[in-house]
Amino acid sequence: MKRERCSSYLAVGLLIVVLFATQCGAPTQPPAPTQAPAVEEKATEAPTEAPVAEATAAPRIFVYAHPTSFPELNPATSYSNDSVIMSNCYEGLTFYNPPGSAEILEPVLATAWETNAEVTEWTFHLREGVTFHDGEPFNAAAVKYSIEKTMELGVGAAYIWAPVEAIEVVDDYTIKFKLSYPAPLDLAASCGYAAWIYSPKAYEENGPDWFNEGHCAGTGPYTIESYERGARLVMARNENYWGGWREGQYDKVVFEIVEDPVVRQQMIEAGTASFTYEPPPDNLPALAARDDLVVYTNPSYQNLLGLLNTRKPPLDNKQVRQALSYSFPYAQFIEGVMTGRATQSYGPVPTGMWGHSEDLFQYTYDLDKAKELLTQAGYPDGGFKLLLTYATGDLDEQQLGELWKAELAKLGIELELQGMNWEAQWDLSKSDPKNAQDVLVMYWWPDYISPYTFLYSMFHSEEEILFNLGYYSNPTYDKLIDDANVLSGSERAQATEMFIQAQEILVDDAVSLFFYDLANTHLARANVKGYVDNPAYPHVVFIYQLTQE
Amino acid sequence: MASPRPCISMHRWEYILRRLAMAALVLVSVSVITFFIARVVPSDPAAAWVGPHPTQEQIAQARQRLGLDRPLYEQYLGYMRDLLRGDLGTSVRSHQPIVADIKAYLPATMELVAVGMVMAVALGIPLGVLSGAHKGSLLDHFTRLFSIAGVSMPTFWLGLLLQLLFFGRLGILPLGSRVSTEVALYHPVAHITGFYLVDTAITGNWVAFKDALLHIILPAFTLGTYAIGLTIRMTRSTMIEVLGEKYILAARVAGIPERVVLFVLALKNAIIPTIIVLGLSFVYSLTGALLVEMIFSWPGLGTYVTQAVISIDFPVIVSVTLVVTVFYVFINLFLDLVQALLDPRVTLQ
Amino acid sequence: MQTEGRAARFREYSLMWQAFRRDPLAVVSLVVILIFILGALFAPVLTPYPGQGRGAPNILEKFQPPGRAHPFGTDYLGRDVLARILFGGRSSLSIGFLVVLVASAIGIPLGAVAGYYGGWIDDVLMRITDMFLAFPPLLLAIAIATALGASFTNAMIAIAFTWWPWYARLVRAQTLSLREQYFIEAARSIGVGDLTIIARHVLPNVLTPVLVQATMDVGSAILTGAGISFIGLGVRPPTADWGEMISIGRIYFIERPWFAGAAGAAIFLVTLAFNLLGDAVRDVADPRTRRTVA
Repeated sequence: MKRERCSSYLAVGLLIVVLFATQCGAPTQPPAPTQAPAVEEKATEAPTEAPVAEATAAPRIFVYAHPTSFPELNPATSYSNDSVIMSNCYEGLTFYNPPGSAEILEPVLATAWETNAEVTEWTFHLREGVTFHDGEPFNAAAVKYSIEKTMELGVGAAYIWAPVEAIEVVDDYTIKFKLSYPAPLDLAASCGYAAWIYSPKAYEENGPDWFNEGHCAGTGPYTIESYERGARLVMARNENYWGGWREGQYDKVVFEIVEDPVVRQQMIEAGTASFTYEPPPDNLPALAARDDLVVYTNPSYQNLLGLLNTRKPPLDNKQVRQALSYSFPYAQFIEGVMTGRATQSYGPVPTGMWGHSEDLFQYTYDLDKAKELLTQAGYPDGGFKLLLTYATGDLDEQQLGELWKAELAKLGIELELQGMNWEAQWDLSKSDPKNAQDVLVMYWWPDYISPYTFLYSMFHSEEEILFNLGYYSNPTYDKLIDDANVLSGSERAQATEMFIQAQEILVDDAVSLFFYDLANTHLARANVKGYVDNPAYPHVVFIYQLTQE
Repeated sequence: MASPRPCISMHRWEYILRRLAMAALVLVSVSVITFFIARVVPSDPAAAWVGPHPTQEQIAQARQRLGLDRPLYEQYLGYMRDLLRGDLGTSVRSHQPIVADIKAYLPATMELVAVGMVMAVALGIPLGVLSGAHKGSLLDHFTRLFSIAGVSMPTFWLGLLLQLLFFGRLGILPLGSRVSTEVALYHPVAHITGFYLVDTAITGNWVAFKDALLHIILPAFTLGTYAIGLTIRMTRSTMIEVLGEKYILAARVAGIPERVVLFVLALKNAIIPTIIVLGLSFVYSLTGALLVEMIFSWPGLGTYVTQAVISIDFPVIVSVTLVVTVFYVFINLFLDLVQALLDPRVTLQ
Repeated sequence: MQTEGRAARFREYSLMWQAFRRDPLAVVSLVVILIFILGALFAPVLTPYPGQGRGAPNILEKFQPPGRAHPFGTDYLGRDVLARILFGGRSSLSIGFLVVLVASAIGIPLGAVAGYYGGWIDDVLMRITDMFLAFPPLLLAIAIATALGASFTNAMIAIAFTWWPWYARLVRAQTLSLREQYFIEAARSIGVGDLTIIARHVLPNVLTPVLVQATMDVGSAILTGAGISFIGLGVRPPTADWGEMISIGRIYFIERPWFAGAAGAAIFLVTLAFNLLGDAVRDVADPRTRRTVA
């Protein structure tokens, strides 16, 4: 007994020695992952470094080091990170172009489309000569089946088809959608979720679970070859792809699930991976300086808002809300915490999206102005308490809260910070406004690309609260955005104007703080050519558009 | 410990039957508990089912489809009916049947646990035997040190330390996952049993075999540390007991080589408690795998559950708990029956 | 341990304490534990960075390796790791104690009642404990904690829920053997009420094995609590917690091992100390293994 304990204190002693050995040593760069030597051994079969001279021998392989696993591969219900995969083996009727393009939408499986005057009927003309991966022909019947099945299952982004009342197959390559109310269906068809067209036969014969086992029945340039859940997914070329193949394009794609950002970075550095996102932010400058790597930082369509409870005093007073908008240290937060990963928002519509305007008024950090407004509102020394809820575990939101707390304290306002998981936050804010939180910090992102999804979901009057978690109710505003939405399909320029007007109302009413528009950071090897970031499809790489040098 | 003993002395077979009945009762009550835990969830399962941006219509439709508008007892009956048919429900995150997911993830965990058990036997028993035989020696100290440390150390931390040492500083073992990308692409592992070591050996895929072996060493060792520690302790103490017996002395006097004395004569009698310990460690490892898989990016049941915890995918958590509990119950039952059949002392309190 | 009246018990305890004092390693374990407890209690005073210990970020000094200003370095938000360890002890240690406290508060009376009355009460209790013991403990705790929501209290409740059966069983077994003792018979024959008997005679005499078990269990409870926080179901940031420190620290571990390393070392040392303390208490509790005064 006694000796046993003696040896256990020996264990402790040993441990302390080990600890000091690890902690006192300067953080060394660990040797490259053991996968790297394997790459060098097989010089002729190296995944990403295949010299062009041996073009015929070495297949080009694109390795995407992905931080999370893929929940589901069913095209009718997929609504998450799996879109990085789905976007490469399925296609929709239209495609939303990256910011800066001449046209907003691009024809894909539909070559042309038109709508009637009331925007209640949409006719799409379909591409001929396309086949699904299982050999079945692509036609209007397939489109009807896909969309109806997606609507029937009703999960994820299926609501984008909510206006559709009936789908009519006019002929093999013409399809007509009849809507119960006007809506921009061409935009909906470009959505990165719930808009994929898949083979009816494959779905009928195999059932939904077949997709999740690692199969694909779309029209896209790549198809799923193998899938090891939680580990990796491999895609191979669809040789019959209607777009044809050129020299230099990738033959295979591997999605490798790697949760650790440091390991992902090392894989890119060593050449065992071609592309990744969310590398460790502190290492970005060093990575950008390297010749063999490229860092892409582009705006996404995701932004962070702080919805204010407009039914609970003192936030029911517009001046108090405006004062709060002036009290947040935007510049300090964005430079100090976000360090290049975000830009301050102009209103609720994120930068790069149509309907965004930099002419909108933007609140700045001005404590004097805030104090002035508070005094006017009757709170010269503050003297009230606010509850702010944010997503537990999110470091950016946590630091945001802490910085804001310090500033509000200078105005005599006590800010209580509460990290909760989303369900709990949502429940709290859906309850009686008198008991709900004062500030709800949350991210929003669009499903299909239209300002309406931002302006409607969070600020349109709601009888039964869903996402209008500030309980804002303004009939003028409601009408403005509803009308603008109807016009989004046919009169986009006019719709843009109206959406901007609507945003002016929101900014003036200070119904929410518009913190920042998030930027995405991607890290890739320099020999990957042709990558254009498209925020409409977050983190998606359309590998068909890439070539390897 | 293993199971409650009956208060009154019984015939052995009656004991076994009673034990079986109890196991069945336990299983039913476990299903009730898991059902109610799942219903206690504060969030709205219908909204979670639809996704992050549901509309009111979608929520209403989901509520109907999932049967959440039916009275509680009807829901429970439906739940039991599905269970008996082998349907464990659907994951809220992937909308896929959980049974399919579990079948996909289970082999990885089983392989990890199995290799951990193999280590426990291969390392634990010989060390325990030698340690018991040479009580008080340096080897004895070392092994006791190891076993006490094993029981006190958080497994997830141990895993990190091993990674730091073998991957970070020495670079001789990989960081995680089951095989490297190259092997997966160029020497893909056939899908026969789901156990990579077995599948690669059967198909003669030796490059992949070596790769899979290198990948499984650290996680299996981390997982097996507790089992190794327990095995050493158990084997050691029973060895000490047995080595004191007279017949051992007689064998030694008769000139039988020490190795035979230890590993054949003495070990034979020390084996039953060791098997019991191994069985218990096996079940412990199933839950320990949860944490180890997180560290080593091992695509098994543990990863599945931790992802479900993060995305609050309740049906998954509850179903995996149920499945592992069933395992647990059966193994406990098996161990009790083994004891009942082999050990004549069992039947009394 | 079969003792009776108060005087006899007191004598036992003082013998135990004397034997305990004699064992240097037991004392060392106790001292280690006391150091951790005091460190947690007086954390704000012991560190020059109490604000950081509570959670205030200090981004400019992110990821400092151990050095003069910060003996254990700083973490991903620039907070002093030693301060985080001291403050983290508050939640990590208290969850261990609370779990054992709550589990025994539930299990002891139930076990005593079951063991004393026997019959159908005993059967029902046994079946209930069977049910709870059937679950793999970590998974059940995870399921309950997820249902209740991640927080310190809920994690504590979830773990305590999986532990009480052990105490119930232990006390029940002790009570069963105690029940046959003649002094219980004597008390009953002169008309002392059942509950009084349980409270005055049974419980105090089953205390020692419970104490032994509890001491060992605190270590395991701390370990389990760390595991639960590691998965993300325990204390929420920015409150410090050892398990949570490892959970976030593991992402940076290969290059910057100091904060996850220190947190893990803390858990290890405390658990080890409790395990050894439990061993020592078990040794002194059993008269056969107790080293008595000559």
